[in-house]
Amino acid sequence: MFHETGRDGLTDMMTPSTVEETQGAFRALADPTRRAILMHLSARDMTIGEVTEHFSITRAAVKKHLTILEEGQLISVQASGRERINHLEPLGLKSVSDWINHFNQFWDERLLDLQRAVEDHERINNG
Amino acid sequence: MDNQTITKTLFFNASREVVWAFLTDKNKLGTWFHPADRNLREGQDYALMGKADDGSPKKMCWGTVIQMEPPSKLVQSFTVGPLSGAMTTVTWNLEQAGDGTRLTLEHSGFAEIAAPFGLLMALDKGWDAHFASLRTRVSEA
Repeated sequence: MFHETGRDGLTDMMTPSTVEETQGAFRALADPTRRAILMHLSARDMTIGEVTEHFSITRAAVKKHLTILEEGQLISVQASGRERINHLEPLGLKSVSDWINHFNQFWDERLLDLQRAVEDHERINNG
Repeated sequence: MDNQTITKTLFFNASREVVWAFLTDKNKLGTWFHPADRNLREGQDYALMGKADDGSPKKMCWGTVIQMEPPSKLVQSFTVGPLSGAMTTVTWNLEQAGDGTRLTLEHSGFAEIAAPFGLLMALDKGWDAHFASLRTRVSEA
């Protein structure tokens, strides 16, 4: 249920699964290392070891970043023998453009309320 | 170019000072948005407070007041819970228009969050095909 957040017009327009996906995508994109990983994966699919070669952080840290990217549905991971191959998923982008649409509607609703609030204020003050 | 900025303009039959108060006063913010934890001040953090399902106070929107030029310009960083801390920028411009006020809202920062994708597209022609299928899927959704 989205009683309170629904007032924002943000959450109530999205199904819970969409909200989760979008949260994941934004969380994944918020970090510069993860954005850099996406850049490398845009060139080709890579194993964790290959991704790690491009960074001065540990393999474990890279693996953590890859997990977050996977949760954000920006990459997919396939097992190949003992290796795990990381693949960029461009459809993860959809949720980002969705956010712009949602904020667009969000502000329409908020600004309408702002206009009403100011009008009420002026009516009371002017007589 | 940033084509991912939301811009809205509207007019008020009220002075800029009145509209300004509705953007910065903690209680007046509550009449159209959510009440703030305190009046907005340049350089200070702010939070707009709602209630969680169990009735406890919950931050709905928050950020920092970056710039304040009363009663003409307000710039704040802005995020909501579902953005998981990713910050965007909201800029309010108030201009005198006759006896009233012309208010312009700009909400930007989406491009910055999505910037890697613009770069990726430029680097890889294969993205054209990806985006064709993306557009198809989106329009079907």
